[in-house]
Amino acid sequence: MSSTIAKLNAPLTQAFDFQPSSELELTPTPTRNTLAQQLAEFDTLTNALEYAAQGITGYNFYNAKGHLHSVLPYKSLRNNARSLAQRLAGLNLVRGSRVAIIADTSPEFIELFFACRYAGLVPFAMPVPVNLGSHGIYVQQLRGMLESSQASIALANLDYINFLEEAAEKSINLQWVGTPAQLKKLPVKEVMLQPNTPDEVAYLQFTSGSTRMPRGVVITERALMCNLQGIVRNGLEIKPDDRSASWLPFYHDMGLVGLVLAPMVTQISVDYLATRDFAIRPLQWLRLISRNRCTVAFSQPFGLKLCTMRVRESDLKDLDLSCWRAAGIGAEMIRPETLRNFAEKFSSAGFNDNAFLPCYGLAESTLAVTFSKVGKGFHSIQVDSKVLIDKRMATSLRAEGRKYNEFVNCGRPLPGHTVKIVDENGQRLGENMVGSVLVQGASIMTGYYNNPEETQKALKPDNWLDTGDIGFLYEGDLYITGRRTDVIIVNGRNIRAQDIEELAEQQPEIRSREASAFGVNDADGTTTIVLVIECRLTSAAERLSLIKRLQQLVYMAFGVNCVVELVPPHTLPRTSSGKLSRFAARQGYIQRMNLGEQLSAVAESGDR
Amino acid sequence: MTDNDYEEIMQLLCDRLSSLASSEVTITSDTNIISELSIDSIKLLNLIMEIEDSFDISIPINALADVQTVHDLANLVSRIKSDQ
Repeated sequence: MSSTIAKLNAPLTQAFDFQPSSELELTPTPTRNTLAQQLAEFDTLTNALEYAAQGITGYNFYNAKGHLHSVLPYKSLRNNARSLAQRLAGLNLVRGSRVAIIADTSPEFIELFFACRYAGLVPFAMPVPVNLGSHGIYVQQLRGMLESSQASIALANLDYINFLEEAAEKSINLQWVGTPAQLKKLPVKEVMLQPNTPDEVAYLQFTSGSTRMPRGVVITERALMCNLQGIVRNGLEIKPDDRSASWLPFYHDMGLVGLVLAPMVTQISVDYLATRDFAIRPLQWLRLISRNRCTVAFSQPFGLKLCTMRVRESDLKDLDLSCWRAAGIGAEMIRPETLRNFAEKFSSAGFNDNAFLPCYGLAESTLAVTFSKVGKGFHSIQVDSKVLIDKRMATSLRAEGRKYNEFVNCGRPLPGHTVKIVDENGQRLGENMVGSVLVQGASIMTGYYNNPEETQKALKPDNWLDTGDIGFLYEGDLYITGRRTDVIIVNGRNIRAQDIEELAEQQPEIRSREASAFGVNDADGTTTIVLVIECRLTSAAERLSLIKRLQQLVYMAFGVNCVVELVPPHTLPRTSSGKLSRFAARQGYIQRMNLGEQLSAVAESGDR
Repeated sequence: MTDNDYEEIMQLLCDRLSSLASSEVTITSDTNIISELSIDSIKLLNLIMEIEDSFDISIPINALADVQTVHDLANLVSRIKSDQ
């Protein structure tokens, strides 16, 4: 493997006693630093790294069996990134050119990311393929990002370079495609690396935009530092003895900003497990927390659910999670049962439910918008379902026996940020009223890269960001009640309804505007994707074949099963402009199926 | 790889898949895991864990992108096993 993997003989202030003797040659970076802690008091990422490099903390990478395989202290990261930056400089790119990197959980990704910043280039992370049989669709997805970003360079580790090369064929912007090892063989250009400025773009973050035209969120150094300061000072109250553990993918905002950049700007150590390894053996993440006495670890609710489901009783006795003081939860709607079940399962392993730290955010606001109070656990309110449906208003439950919905408190906006709730006409609503969640503040994106149309949809006058989420404010705290119908969240993954419909419309039997996709929830909160198709086929065999083909396509693209319903032409409801209304299509489906699940339907508003 | 290996892997996959699949289907090497067996992502993770544990291998995530049928998966497993 590469030279980046430091076989550390570095001085350590603390030894860890858990290392089996066979791997004594590698030691993780310590928790206690030799350097005074600075909490994100920097104006750029590279300045933050120059400071962190003076200490002895850094990043540690563990394999599926929980063995440490690579150590990347901030000091080595700084040196390696600067050396790679000199090679990037040899490619003579215009300052601000985009660099695409397939982001597996590896030291190479982080080195390349920072090399780009030292060289004045704008990196962005691309996903790894995760679904069975997803080859073709994955390559399309990469191609979409390369085109949308007009990337000049693209990099991937050996495992993924074939996919990348396939995606890069016929690209007009790409000047160089290769692996980190190939980059290291390029000649060094002896140039002075220019310092970055706060107004420069720090990176792009692709969101779950459509496959054909993905959206790259543009984040400046200033917005990033503003958000990081809020997260580490107010959200997490980071201290010198903190240590993080993470399985979150580096290509998601929570993984990258929250668990790669936030630890670095506070000079604390992090222990990483690849997302795939967590998904297969979630216990490994908890073991890392327990062994290395980690204090800060984030997950989507789905990750907690996986732990609760897959960890055996016999595993619990070896775990001591009492060190875990901030169990951040975000990235999708939080259901109180998920947290209660997790706490119930892991309390015997020392997990303290006061560690639960619900928060709310999105890539368009760098990462975080609101945080609840750290160390105080999660709080929720029960609101009267009937009032919620009839008046779109959240009132706390007064009488026993009435139906209710329970929502988790996501806390207050970070300093310098404001959240407001508006109705369909953009009018500000009072406390307790349910509407669209808008955010204003210095962490908000500049826009979507090279996409004024989508930018205009998201950024309202006075730079209010329309988050696409639905919720209400209660005593100043934010509660999220749902998403608008254009995004379906299944097992923690955001899937755009439009993407599924576009897949369906690529079939010869289906015309455009004859497919409608949405999610329906069953009583325990599990979401199923439903795809309703207006279909003229009459032969039973042809109809069955179409259903199977659609299910297979959806699985290959998104890794989820879906229900396909074929209905006669003109069944799907349309808006006045002839567009399909997913909201109405969903209502129609629920009626046909007699699901009677008004409640989750009402928490969401109509189409955008 | 030896034929025995392949047969053993195939046998294990067929057994596991038929217990995971929600419908009554006969599983052969040509069965398409995606379209013919309705296996959700959590069941799939379980299956991969069982395969890894049974054969003491690690299946790289990039390789699954080219797996569609039971034969593809058995082939992948035996290739990884013989590379060890």
